[in-house]
Amino acid sequence: MNGQRGMSTVGAVLLAATAGLLTATLMMDWMVVDIRVEEEESPIHIKVPFPLVVADIAAGFIPDEVLDEARVPAEARAQKELVLATVRSLLESPDAQLVKVRTDDANVDISKDGDTLRIAVDADDAVVRCNVPIDGIVKALEDWDWETVDPQMIFDILHAADNGELVTVTTDDGVRVAVKMW
Amino acid sequence: MKRTILFLVALVALLAAPAASAGDETRWVNVNVTENSSNTNVEVHLPLNLVLTVLRNVDVENFHGGQVDLDLDEDMNINFPEILAAVKDAPDGKFVTVTSDEADVNVHKEGGTLYVTVNQKEDEMAKVEVTVPIELMGALSFGEENTLDVTALLESLDTLPNGELVKVTSNEANVRVWIE
Repeated sequence: MNGQRGMSTVGAVLLAATAGLLTATLMMDWMVVDIRVEEEESPIHIKVPFPLVVADIAAGFIPDEVLDEARVPAEARAQKELVLATVRSLLESPDAQLVKVRTDDANVDISKDGDTLRIAVDADDAVVRCNVPIDGIVKALEDWDWETVDPQMIFDILHAADNGELVTVTTDDGVRVAVKMW
Repeated sequence: MKRTILFLVALVALLAAPAASAGDETRWVNVNVTENSSNTNVEVHLPLNLVLTVLRNVDVENFHGGQVDLDLDEDMNINFPEILAAVKDAPDGKFVTVTSDEADVNVHKEGGTLYVTVNQKEDEMAKVEVTVPIELMGALSFGEENTLDVTALLESLDTLPNGELVKVTSNEANVRVWIE
């Protein structure tokens, strides 16, 4: 009887641990970098998923001296209020196509769709799609000290991004790089 | 019964539609630039509030908090408010007509709107048409130290009806600015 109860306890602990691990995995923001190179002989497909929390922790290990050296120029600091006010105002603006450029070499479209700024560039040799989370940029800029370059800003923006493709770049020589949020 | 419900839903939708569109009061500033030589077309469509926010926060030389320094010579003693008031109160008619080999310039007021047209006769052969509603002129506010309040001017666009403000056509490029 006791042995049976011991087995079930271990099983329950293992099940709980597995469930906890799975839940934690699902709750975390993951970034996936997907690289495809179309080659006739040996096509390459690399997929690198990693949880953003790891990047957050890794950024914490960057020595302060390194960041101190990457100081923001005073001219850029002076534009803090302008940048913040502009991005906040953009976030509150209604959805619309904001910019449309047509040239012989490339087309550029910038539109606002909810909390996301969608940038599309269709050039002769590459196609770029970028979905920028405006709310993430507002948060990152608000949290930033505007004194030194802070890698944490990038992770703040990534955390705010919707699930799906954040950036995709497709070149005419068969390379496709996609950064996806999951 | 089903037909009655459908009719009621349709009626509610019909009544709600104008109310919904009336709620969307965003004014948009539109700029369209077409460059003839490079076959380039640029369209910018921005909410007026966004433009105003940017202007209020710009702090660069000669432009602070929506005020532009006119940088006029101290000897020039121009009373802008008085000139503007005179134009505003003037009856409709032709105010300025200049004819020369280089360009023709015409300024006239019609139906409460001031029209400025310039027809270049050489080089780019540009034709410039500026439409200034009198309400816009009333918003031209000059500070004591020769500054012009650009923000106040643009804020007044909010009250204007939809329409074209600037149109430039030339051999090289066409530019159109309008509010909607």
